[in-house]
Amino acid sequence: MNDGPLLRARGASRRFGDHVALEPTDLEVHRGEALALVGPNGAGKSTLLAVLAGAVEPSKGTVEWAQGVRAGWMPQRPAHYGRLSPRQNLELFARLERAGDPQRMLERLELPDDDRPAAALSVGNRQRLDLAISLLPDPDVLLLDEPTAALDPRQRRRLWETARGVRDAGGAVVLVTQNLEDLEHVADRVAALLDGRVVFDGPVAAYLTSEAAGSLR
Amino acid sequence: MRPVWLVLRKDLLVLRRSPALLGVLIAYPLVIALLIGLTAAYANAKPRVAFVDKDGIPHRVTVAGQSFSIDNLIRDVGKNVEIVRMSEQQAAQQLASGRVSAVVTVPQGFVADLKGLVSSPHLTLATGSGGITPRVRQQMQALVYNLNLKLQKAFIQADLQYVNLLLHGGTGRVLGHDFSIIGLDGTKQLLAGIPDSPQKAKIADFVDDARLALALTGNAIRATASPVVLDEEHGQGRTSLLSAQVQAYGLAITISFLGLLLAGGALAAERDENAIGRLVRGLVGLGQLIVAKIGLAVTVALGVGFAILVGFGIAVEVGGVHGGEPWQRLPLVLVGVLLAGAAIGAVGTLVGALTRESRTASLVGILIVLPVVFLGLVPREIVPVAAWISDAFPFAHAVRFFASALYDGSPWGTLAREAAWLIGLGALFGVLTRLSIRRLAV
Repeated sequence: MNDGPLLRARGASRRFGDHVALEPTDLEVHRGEALALVGPNGAGKSTLLAVLAGAVEPSKGTVEWAQGVRAGWMPQRPAHYGRLSPRQNLELFARLERAGDPQRMLERLELPDDDRPAAALSVGNRQRLDLAISLLPDPDVLLLDEPTAALDPRQRRRLWETARGVRDAGGAVVLVTQNLEDLEHVADRVAALLDGRVVFDGPVAAYLTSEAAGSLR
Repeated sequence: MRPVWLVLRKDLLVLRRSPALLGVLIAYPLVIALLIGLTAAYANAKPRVAFVDKDGIPHRVTVAGQSFSIDNLIRDVGKNVEIVRMSEQQAAQQLASGRVSAVVTVPQGFVADLKGLVSSPHLTLATGSGGITPRVRQQMQALVYNLNLKLQKAFIQADLQYVNLLLHGGTGRVLGHDFSIIGLDGTKQLLAGIPDSPQKAKIADFVDDARLALALTGNAIRATASPVVLDEEHGQGRTSLLSAQVQAYGLAITISFLGLLLAGGALAAERDENAIGRLVRGLVGLGQLIVAKIGLAVTVALGVGFAILVGFGIAVEVGGVHGGEPWQRLPLVLVGVLLAGAAIGAVGTLVGALTRESRTASLVGILIVLPVVFLGLVPREIVPVAAWISDAFPFAHAVRFFASALYDGSPWGTLAREAAWLIGLGALFGVLTRLSIRRLAV
């Protein structure tokens, strides 16, 4: 898969009990691509991203990654230890990843470097801490779930820069979003989901003029 | 093993940053252990026994020339049972309702039989049913034994007075009739005034032999009355608070609460914190996650267990009590703490995997640990089923391991058996957790 896609889902589906969150889905993500997963609430966007990230096993089908690709995943909900400080979280995940510089990440994401537990931080700061953790392994593929939802305009711009930086360095970005601005500033391709099914997959411009774009307006 | 160590280190760091939680986790089981100790003490409290006096026993009774205080006798028995005087009807009602454990009835004519020395007077004991009955029966047997002991002394004293009369002569009273005898001494004096003859010689020989034999009668009667005498020595054993069983229970209860709640809560918390998704993306395997949580239970159990053992050891030294080897056996007990912590931690991880939420895991943990602890306290002889259920959890095995390690002269057989149980149960619950944990990662 070295010359092929960085990431490929083949018939990947996910059920939670009787509920089908994601119908069998085929999807490829290539180098230099920024793919936005869009759709109404409950469409299966976050499930697809978690399945692509390997955080959730597909009930059926497979997800394949190119050899040696490093991935960073930032879920929608805070995914770090609330009783530890941001530095302690970053140090832990850096050790587990065997990669990354916690100090550099604290500075880069402008995170508070005191002993306060992460749970005491603002929603925006917690989101930035998650982004910092996902950036620790210097990822080739960045998987972001509604990354700008709680960020102020300045931090939002910085995140777009970060995402574009990963994409422009020959990596790829997959982001779940409900925000048209994210599409304009980061994405070059859109996959729209409805009821666990991909109903549109194409360039951003084509998506914005399609019927499927209705959910974002 | 690096991921296991990193997760364990993280959990210990989280615990260190939550001093209130840690304090509650340590204090709570100690309070429970204390309450169980108090409950056990209450279980040893005096049973309530009804006393029905149909004969109208006087405060003092004179038997064989000896005067007895009935009040003192009842007070002596009252050290072990609470004697409550009541009517026959009340006693029957309270026995039926379980408010008294037994009814002792003094029938009419009891004192007359006692004074008459012709036939043994009878007391009647009626008991209820249930676990306390054997203890009440023992106490009542002890009451009769003590009563007999006091009477026995009086009877011996009376018998010896008669022997004394036979030896030295004098006046006495039997069955209300006064009498006067010259005794062997008087007989010998009479014989001295009679002319010698073969018949006189035979009578004189008999008098000498009889005097010799009767002089030994006192010790013979006492020895016959009490072939074995029990001499009591007080203060040679440990106080109940420091007994091996209390130490073993205290240690096992604390470790059970800590291990189960910490391992279960910590595993479920990985999902609460939404961190499990990050971990399972190749950073930490699910099996490694289980091992880390069991490691957390073991680490905390060793720390707290060591503190408890040192506390008990110091109390034993300061109290100057005898028995047991609080310091020499410390390493052996810590091996048990390690095994018990691991087995209980494995149960905790199963709870955490099944409940999927730390608060639910804590609640379920308490719901499980309390009955398991109480089942482990039920004597096997009384409710065998409770013992079988208890054997399916590590608590009872931990108690037996600790008690044996602390105080058995030759503990190796018990230790090997209980260690095998703990290892087996730990492995079983660990495997069950591994099979269930996939639920957590969704």
